[in-house]
Amino acid sequence: MIEIRDLTVQVPGFRLESIGLEAGASDIFALIGPTGSGKSLLLEAVAGLVPVQGGRVRIQGEDVTGLPPEKRRLGLVYQDQSLFPHLSVRDNIHYGVRYHGLDAATRRDRFEHLVRRLELEQILERSTIRLSGGEKQRVALARALMLQPRALLLDEPLSALDPVFRDDIRVLLRSLHQELGIPFVLVSHNFSEVLFLAGRGAVLRDGVLEQSGPIRDLFERPATPFCARFVGMKNLVPCTVEQGRARLGDVTVRLPGADVREGRGTLGLRPEDIVLVEDGDRSCDHVLRARISAMEGQGFYFRVSLSLEPGGLSLSAFWTRQVVDRHRLQPNDLVRIGFSSRCLHAIYE
Amino acid sequence: MKPHRDRLFFTLLFFASLPLVLLVVLPLAKMLTQPGWTELWESIRDPQVLGALARSMGTSLGAALICILFGTPLAYLLARKSFPGKRAVEGIVDLPIMIPHPVIGIAVLSLAGRHHPLGRALQEIGVQVMGTYTGIVTVLVFVGLPFYVNTVKAGFEAVPTRLEKASRSLGAGMAATFLRVTLPLTWTQIVLGTIMCTARAISEFGAVVIVAYHPMTAPVLIYERFTAYGLRYSQSVCFWLIAVSFLLFVSMRLVSRVRTVET
Repeated sequence: MIEIRDLTVQVPGFRLESIGLEAGASDIFALIGPTGSGKSLLLEAVAGLVPVQGGRVRIQGEDVTGLPPEKRRLGLVYQDQSLFPHLSVRDNIHYGVRYHGLDAATRRDRFEHLVRRLELEQILERSTIRLSGGEKQRVALARALMLQPRALLLDEPLSALDPVFRDDIRVLLRSLHQELGIPFVLVSHNFSEVLFLAGRGAVLRDGVLEQSGPIRDLFERPATPFCARFVGMKNLVPCTVEQGRARLGDVTVRLPGADVREGRGTLGLRPEDIVLVEDGDRSCDHVLRARISAMEGQGFYFRVSLSLEPGGLSLSAFWTRQVVDRHRLQPNDLVRIGFSSRCLHAIYE
Repeated sequence: MKPHRDRLFFTLLFFASLPLVLLVVLPLAKMLTQPGWTELWESIRDPQVLGALARSMGTSLGAALICILFGTPLAYLLARKSFPGKRAVEGIVDLPIMIPHPVIGIAVLSLAGRHHPLGRALQEIGVQVMGTYTGIVTVLVFVGLPFYVNTVKAGFEAVPTRLEKASRSLGAGMAATFLRVTLPLTWTQIVLGTIMCTARAISEFGAVVIVAYHPMTAPVLIYERFTAYGLRYSQSVCFWLIAVSFLLFVSMRLVSRVRTVET
C-alpha cells in the first residue's frame, strides 16, 4: 500500500499542496488532471526524485519520506520509457540488479520469467534505439519489475504509443497488476485508458487535490463543477434541489436517492447519457422535446447541440453515426430526448 | 517558392559565403605550399623545432587533462543545478575568450610574483611560474577552459534528466548514475571538448610569451624566427604547427561524425 499524507512539494513556479491519498495493493490508482496540475510531480515526489516540504509517504507501512529514490524500491516507468540508449535490452533489464543484492539464481529466474512473460526473447541483444514504441515500453516494464518493486509508478505509459501497441500494453498492464499484487499508480490524460485500467483515482487541479475515490465516481459523481467539466460532464445547469427534485429548463426532474440534499448547486448530466427517444420507448425516466441547433461530426460520433423546447436550455449529446444516419437527423429537427434519473448528478454549493 | 528561385537564393548564399572561406583558405594554402621539401625536411630534423612542437603538444595535453579533471565537475554542475551566482560563474568561464591573451599572461604573473601572497607561498614550496612549464600550462588552462567547459556542459544538458531519474529509481546512487549513465552518454562531448581545448592551447602565443619565452613553444619559436630571420625561416615551422593542428581538427570532425551517426 502507498499512503500519502499532507504531502507538500514546492518547485520553482509551482506548489503541490497537502495531498492525501491511499493506493492499496489491489489498486491501479489513476492520477488525472489538466496539463500542469502536478500529476507527474506528485509521482516523482512519491519516488523521492523531488524534495518535499512537508507530509509523509509510506510504502507498505514504512515511512520512506526521508529516503533517497534508490532506497525506496519503487518501479518507475516514464512515457518516453527512458531506456538507457548506450545499453542493450539485456543490459537495461539488468541495470539495477547489482544494487539489490540478488544472487545469481534469483537473478536468472526473474530475468527468464520476465523475458518470457513480456515476449522479449527476440530483442535481448538489440540496441534500445532501434525498438518500436511497444517494445520499448515492455523493456521499461521488465527493467522496473526485475527488482520486484513494492509499487509501480507509471507516468503516462501509453501516451507515446501507436494505437495498436497501446491496446496491447494496457491489457498487459492490467494482467501484470493482477499477477504482481502491488499498487500501480498511473498518471494519464486518456479517459478510456483510465476507465479500463484503474479502480480508484484522484483529480488534481493546480497542485490541489479536487477529488479522490472510486474511478466511476470521478466520472459519474464529480465533486466540483471543475471535476465535472474535466471528466467530460458537459451539461451543467444551475439548479435548486427541493424534496429530491430539481428544475431542468421547464421540466422538473427527480434525482437519484443517494445524491439528494436540499439546496442550491449545479445539475450535471453526461452527454453520453442523453438518448434519442423513439416512439414507444419507455426506458427513460425523463423525456423532453428539443431542437437540434448544431451537429459536429467527431469520427464515429456526432456531438449534437440541443435546445430544449420550451425554455431554450442548451444541452449536448453524443450520438453514434448510426443513430444520426438512421433517423436522418439534421440541424433544426425537433426530436424527443431522454435520460434516466440515475444519470443526473447534483453538485451542491 | 519555385525551384529556379531556390537555386538563385542558394547561389546568392554561396557567393556571399565565399569571401570568408577564401580569407581563411588562401593565406594558409600559400603558407603551406611556400616552403620546399628540403626546407621542411631540415626543419623537422631541427631539434629546436621538434622540441618546440613537442613542448606545445605536451603542455597543451597537460592543460587539457587539468580541464578534464576540474572542468568536468564544473560543467556538470552548470548543466544540472541552479544556484545563486550561476550566471556569474558562467560569465567567468567565458571570460578568457574575451580578454586579450597577453593580459592573461600578465594577470597570472601578477598573482604568481613575489609581490602577491600566493606567489610568495608558491615560491616557498618551490613552484615557479615565470619561465617554466608550470607557467605555460597555467595560462593554457586559462585559455582552453571555456572551450572545454562549454562543450561538455552542452553534452550534459543533452542527456535527459529522466534517464538519471530512471537510474536512481533502479537503485543507483547519484555517483553511480553519473558514472554509468551520464558520463557514457557524454563521452563524445568530452572528447570534443578535450580536442578543442588542446587545439586552442597549441596555438596560444600571447599569454605564453609573457609567462615563458623560454622554454619555447612552437608559436613563440615561429615568432622568434620571423623577427630574427624573416618570413621564409618561420614558414616551415608554421607548416608543421598547422599539420599538428590539422590532425587535431580532423580527429575532432571524426568524433562529431560518429556522434551524429549514433544519434
